[in-house]
Amino acid sequence: MTSAWSPVAASFARIWRSVGVFAALVLLVTAASILSDRFLTLPNLLNILRQVSIVGILAIGMTFVILTKGIDLSVGALLGISVVLYAGLLENHSMAVAIPVGLAAATLAGTVNGVGVALARIPPFIMTLGMLSFARGLAFIYTGGMPIPILNEDFYSLGNGYVAGVPIPSLILLAVLAVSAVVLSLTAFGRSVYGIGSNEEAARLSGVPVNAYKIAVYAISGFVSGLAGLVYASQLSIGTPIAGQGYELDAIAAVVVGGTSLFGGKGTVAGTFIGTLIIGVLANILNLMGVDPYVQQLFKGALIVIAVYLMSRSDRA
Amino acid sequence: MARDKGRPFLEVIGLTKSFGGNLVLSGVDLALHAGEVHAIVGENGAGKSTLIKTLGGVHRPDSGRMLVDGQDTILRSPSDAIARGIVVIHQELSLAPHLSVAENVFLGHFPLTRLGLVDRRRMRDETRSLLGRLDIDIDPQTLAEDLPIAQQQMVEIAKAISFNAKVLILDEPTAVLDEAMVGTLFDLIATLKSAGLAIIFISHHLEEVFRIADTVTVLRDGKRTGLSEVSEVDQNWLISRMIGRNFPKFAARSCTTGDPALEVRDLTQAGVFKDITFTAHKGEIVGLAGLVGAGRTEVARAICGISRPTSGEIRVFGRKVRLRSPKTAMRLRMVYVSEDRKALGLLPNRPVRENATISNLSRFRRFGLLRLGLERTYVSELIRKLDIRLPGMNAEVRTLSGGNQQKVMLGRALAIEPRILIFDEPTRGVDIGAKSEIYAIIEQLVSSGMCVILISSDLEEILRLSDKVIVLRRGRVAATLSRAEASESAIMHAAALPG
Repeated sequence: MTSAWSPVAASFARIWRSVGVFAALVLLVTAASILSDRFLTLPNLLNILRQVSIVGILAIGMTFVILTKGIDLSVGALLGISVVLYAGLLENHSMAVAIPVGLAAATLAGTVNGVGVALARIPPFIMTLGMLSFARGLAFIYTGGMPIPILNEDFYSLGNGYVAGVPIPSLILLAVLAVSAVVLSLTAFGRSVYGIGSNEEAARLSGVPVNAYKIAVYAISGFVSGLAGLVYASQLSIGTPIAGQGYELDAIAAVVVGGTSLFGGKGTVAGTFIGTLIIGVLANILNLMGVDPYVQQLFKGALIVIAVYLMSRSDRA
Repeated sequence: MARDKGRPFLEVIGLTKSFGGNLVLSGVDLALHAGEVHAIVGENGAGKSTLIKTLGGVHRPDSGRMLVDGQDTILRSPSDAIARGIVVIHQELSLAPHLSVAENVFLGHFPLTRLGLVDRRRMRDETRSLLGRLDIDIDPQTLAEDLPIAQQQMVEIAKAISFNAKVLILDEPTAVLDEAMVGTLFDLIATLKSAGLAIIFISHHLEEVFRIADTVTVLRDGKRTGLSEVSEVDQNWLISRMIGRNFPKFAARSCTTGDPALEVRDLTQAGVFKDITFTAHKGEIVGLAGLVGAGRTEVARAICGISRPTSGEIRVFGRKVRLRSPKTAMRLRMVYVSEDRKALGLLPNRPVRENATISNLSRFRRFGLLRLGLERTYVSELIRKLDIRLPGMNAEVRTLSGGNQQKVMLGRALAIEPRILIFDEPTRGVDIGAKSEIYAIIEQLVSSGMCVILISSDLEEILRLSDKVIVLRRGRVAATLSRAEASESAIMHAAALPG
């Protein structure tokens, strides 16, 4: 039995989902520019964009996974594995070798996650938690526990250079965003990802290759972690095995603040991008105001809970 | 001759309820006496569910009075309603699957020992005696998830009794039951009635009203359009008050059948069904009848690649096939529409548009990308052809009524242009208007050469539509009846009696 009022509420929920997050960002930016006159300056805004690039990239890959009602706790560790591989290989090889290998390793690890979730039916939380430990351990073994410095000039300019005034890491973020948005909204694969998250069995009965697609989303998450690792390693010029520790939680935070439901089937990468910006702007304004970084954690935690609470109201509609 | 029934135990006067500007109930009156069985009928969207949810404390009316045992009452919550003896048993059963029957019955009011711990022995014994009084044969230690759905329903009723219910409200209790189980349920209702309980039940099966109810209320568009003692009216009276017009009888089926479309020979799935053999032709409707649990859905799932048979042969248009997945079946233009659209069919929070096209997205693909314009055109046409009522193709499919949701599911099946369609319980939870529309659509599909296999627990539906009826019993074919041979008693005989 349907409620006669549901269409109204459903439209409102849709609007909130797509516009509400953006409205929240606008509100936050307005408040920030009032609180500090240094906020709305080009260098500062570019700074924010550059700082959120790494987590932003991770969050976009994470969106794919969460849309299928899964989760990937290993993205930080996969970032780490790719970082140490870039550093290690760049000691004796060119970027043309180091970059593909690092990306391939991260993608392979993601694929393993996918196989575990889709074929062995291991709950995503557990599978990726295991991978988190495993990959982190591999990173430590590979580096012998010590960070590896990167001396490659070209690699450095990848992380610290600009193209048309925009930091290259941010361009990578925007490129990932654009491609992901097209895939999710305009391809059969993307459409099926939403279907799998909404009702996996119904999707399967409709002929969607559910197992293959689930493996694919975790592989995508892995690949994207490798890309984020590329930005990290090239920005900092160091291949440290602890790279990315804790980043998975920031990525998940950005995804949920951006309006993607943890129950699958609802959300967009545009929303995730805005979620990333919201968290970035919040951190930035608190910095500009000189707020203690530990206190900033309190704000971030509160933000995540409030954002998800507001989203869940629209979920229920 | 109206007998003096005394003061009603539960009464509502002028009940009105709106949701966001939409008037769902408008000035509804209802009076319910102890020992009375009162049926509520009406099309989907008429307000039946809202009415019983209001009676059960889930919704608060905008206006109107409710009297419980003569006292003006405002129910603040379902627990408030339960405290006053009004218990609603919803269509979606709410037992805790991992708990036992006894634990489920006493959930919320566990008997405690002197130390304040749960008294398991007393709980078990009291459950056993309660079930015995209700003539229900279930072991209190069984886990709820191990019980078939009909028995889960019994446990829910027993649970209501344990709360000292005076009014029991059943929302479409027979929707998932077959004939035999309906009988058992109605026996239980009769037992409760003689114990003085008042019972309200909603049903789409009008013959049940005449079987078990004393009084009937008809709702249409939120208003009460009929109230009567059941003994004084007939089906036509009910139908005319439900839909506001006299319902025409369905025309007799004329069928021209062609070559064999689907041949099944000795199909077996160990432990589930054995030696299933039949042939379905182009342009033919084959009805698959049988009691719940006879294996009809299981046979269909094996034919369509959802599960694997252990042995046997399947030929599609003369060619022997091995079906590995639903996709394989779809490539052969054979599709299965599930009986359980909520769990297995719908993508609930996705728009209608996506629900309709997910089975065949390649149809709209150009250079790797989906052409949304093409999709929109296709879905508009589908909505028009199937007469789907909805706020818009981007509305979430879960906001549609049961009948319209079913049409979307059919639309999804049609997207691959099937030549063989297996339709499992096509009108479950669908109101009478949409039902006849779906029948018309099926007949139209068949007249253009499609082969349809119809699985249904609704004998009238099977008899109305089928050119041939195959009756399953305990996983085997019990009878194959032509349209001339098929009758309600012939089917029931084959379905329920051995030999």
